[in-house]
Amino acid sequence: MKNQHSTEETHAEHITSYREHFGTWVGLILLTLMTVFISVFGADLRTITVATALFIASVKALVVAYYFMHLKYDPRIYRVLMTIVMSLFTSFLIMVILDYLTR
Amino acid sequence: MNHHFTLPNSGHHYDAKASKMGMWLFLYTELLLFGGLFLVYMVYRSLNQDAFLLASFNLNVWIGTANTVVLLTSSMTVAMSISALQKGDSKKSILLLWLTILAALIFLVVKYFEWSSKFEHGLFPGMDHFNQLPNGEKLYFNLYFFMTGLHGLHVIVGGIFIMVVVAKIKSGKVNKSRYQLLENSGLYWHLVDLIWIYLFPLFYLIH
Amino acid sequence: MTSIATQQINYLNVKKGIWSWLFTLDHKRIGLMYLYAIGAFFLVGVTLGIFMRLELFNPGRDIMEAKTYNQVFTLHGVIMIFLFIIPSIPAVFGNFFLPIMLGTDDVSLPRLNLMSWWLYIIGALFALSTLVFGGGPADTGWTFYAPYSVKTGTNVSMSVMAAFVLGFSSILTGLNFIVTIHRLRTPGMTFNKMPLFAWGLYATSWIQVLATPVIGITLLMIVVERVFGIGLFDPSMGGDPILYQHLFWIYSHPAVYIMALPAMGVVSEIIPTFSQRTIFGYKPIAYSSMAIAFVGYFVWGHHMFTSGMSGSAAIIFSILTFLVAIPTAIKVFNWLATLYKGSIDIKVPLLFALAFIFNFLIGGLTGLVVGALAVDVHVHDTYFVVGHFHYVMFGGAGFAFFGALHYWFPKMWGKMYNMTRAYVAFGFLFIGFNILYFPMLILGIMGMPRRYYDYLPQFHTLNQISTIGSWILVVGLLLMIYNLIAGYRKGPKATGNPWNGMTLEWQTDSPPPLHNFDKMPELPEGGPYNYPNAKSQ
Repeated sequence: MKNQHSTEETHAEHITSYREHFGTWVGLILLTLMTVFISVFGADLRTITVATALFIASVKALVVAYYFMHLKYDPRIYRVLMTIVMSLFTSFLIMVILDYLTR
Repeated sequence: MNHHFTLPNSGHHYDAKASKMGMWLFLYTELLLFGGLFLVYMVYRSLNQDAFLLASFNLNVWIGTANTVVLLTSSMTVAMSISALQKGDSKKSILLLWLTILAALIFLVVKYFEWSSKFEHGLFPGMDHFNQLPNGEKLYFNLYFFMTGLHGLHVIVGGIFIMVVVAKIKSGKVNKSRYQLLENSGLYWHLVDLIWIYLFPLFYLIH
Repeated sequence: MTSIATQQINYLNVKKGIWSWLFTLDHKRIGLMYLYAIGAFFLVGVTLGIFMRLELFNPGRDIMEAKTYNQVFTLHGVIMIFLFIIPSIPAVFGNFFLPIMLGTDDVSLPRLNLMSWWLYIIGALFALSTLVFGGGPADTGWTFYAPYSVKTGTNVSMSVMAAFVLGFSSILTGLNFIVTIHRLRTPGMTFNKMPLFAWGLYATSWIQVLATPVIGITLLMIVVERVFGIGLFDPSMGGDPILYQHLFWIYSHPAVYIMALPAMGVVSEIIPTFSQRTIFGYKPIAYSSMAIAFVGYFVWGHHMFTSGMSGSAAIIFSILTFLVAIPTAIKVFNWLATLYKGSIDIKVPLLFALAFIFNFLIGGLTGLVVGALAVDVHVHDTYFVVGHFHYVMFGGAGFAFFGALHYWFPKMWGKMYNMTRAYVAFGFLFIGFNILYFPMLILGIMGMPRRYYDYLPQFHTLNQISTIGSWILVVGLLLMIYNLIAGYRKGPKATGNPWNGMTLEWQTDSPPPLHNFDKMPELPEGGPYNYPNAKSQ
């Protein structure tokens, strides 16, 4: 029933080079070191510390998603969907925390 | 039996795009699964900020950093293994996948030592030291074990998935013109990495 | 060579034996296997409901102890919601007809489809096993609220694991349908030329994929709390029970749209066929499905108005709740406009569709009542709520399920059922249903609490009426089931298109061949319901 011949070719054939992957890795390591140093050697500024840490984590996540997971080169719908999913989750966070903040 | 007419849009042909779409949809479910735990974390941390900070001193930043580096590296190796197979170099692809699996094992071993040291100090739910902690710190550890535990489970599942793909590359079932399964295993692996990217600062870098 | 006069090869007889069913990859067989399993569990759920109504016939103890009553209504809810309504239309009719309506020969991921079915069976067995193992069935209500669900000695862990596994089944089905709709539509069928049932399934599938994981992790938290004693929802350990409710309802509210949207999709199929004209407002109906799915994610707090949640949050949730009624109303107006001046043929499928509109209207309007923050303080956790949700879930989704069964029966089995018996059964169902549930709306306003095994004397008469309604309803159910089985076994052969429908499933044989089509299906000009002689919109 399954056959090798598919109705369309399997991929838009973008092949990420080893160099690009390595470059992505370097960037991620640098971001990691940055966030660790801010935490260990920086002042404890409470909310700003959390915000900074989450911000850097999100940059790292975006880098992983865009380059390692190929979202940059994929059809646009995949980036749109990822945005929708993360927005949905974020709105859950916001609506729940609103409850706790206004009790 | 009459010959059967085949539709041009048959669901029985190999469809790499369908497979990729399915995998991404599954990843969305995983994101929301962990999302529930992150939501709980957010609520309890905002209500117990000092306790969370105090409790986090029980974790070693440098071990956490090392594990982060290990996972980031494994993401690179699995991504490279896809490039290798796309170029037709299945040997290199398999090697890179084994490096990924090795990284996974290192991660798990490190985690094992981290958890063991907590048990030794009686810091697991139900143990003596844990029971004496103030509530805020209890919540920190509850979430620590639950979230890193669930994450560790996903590391194991991801590792097994990759090993299955290695076997299929060896047998030729996954190859240069039919590699969506490898890409899917990579996507799953990157998800595991993504979750850790958030777990790390939230548990280790509270200061 | 078989001649046309004798047995034609179709998906039912192409392979025989139980293993060819249990391990089939044919979406039609999988749909039927879901039907038989879901039907069986539905009857278990009905039986539990009948026992509840018997207990409530008089105040005080009638046939069971209070604790047993708690277990009965819990299992009734778990079965009806997770084993019946949520899977029903997508797993049975979605599986059977989505590929055919799209003009293809299967879903995109057939093996995943089979796995969905097996997960369903495993989850069902977990749920039913609580009748025998580990402390008895849970007595927490299907909502498993902490902290009671963490402390009670009944078998909550198994019930909750059942729901977890069933959730997985639901996710995989939704995933499969999304991919199928994106990848396998017949050439020329754009999204805006898909049947509205497909749109309903598409919107539903997105809810299944994005909302279900949240309850998955929440149920896992309950299990971990019970097993390891961690105190995520235990106030004595710093936890907040209301947080459980947030997590629970973040899924369980969208879940009701998983129940409603496919049902509305069925109604959108039946109405044009039995009006013999195209649907009025195709795009509004299609996009309303997506709008309901979208807005439905943000209203969950209306289940928590009296829980201790903040007042400001409650106000926001109440406003959003009112918004979700709008796309629903749009659909109702479009259905009515389709019927208006159509060539109406009052067959039983249409009666079920009309009953849906009637029942869902009552259910929806009472939903606005409970969604109004101030009024809800009075009716929350009363029989008003019980009446409300049975009107939408049973009177709505349940009746749509029966309607789908009567509409697509000839296509699925190649036979026709007895029309007269079908009319009579419908009559019993509709009348019995309303006698059973309408009094609950009154009882709730009068103040009778829900999940109570006993009640004050002033509620006696209405409870008796309601119980009698349940007996009438059961007569209708039994007659309907008997009629359908008799039709299957001895009914006359059905044609390929007994209702003169326009969607693609009516272009193939009844029952369909194994690969759905023996020749290329033809898309109707201009849209899925464009009857050639009908007046244009």
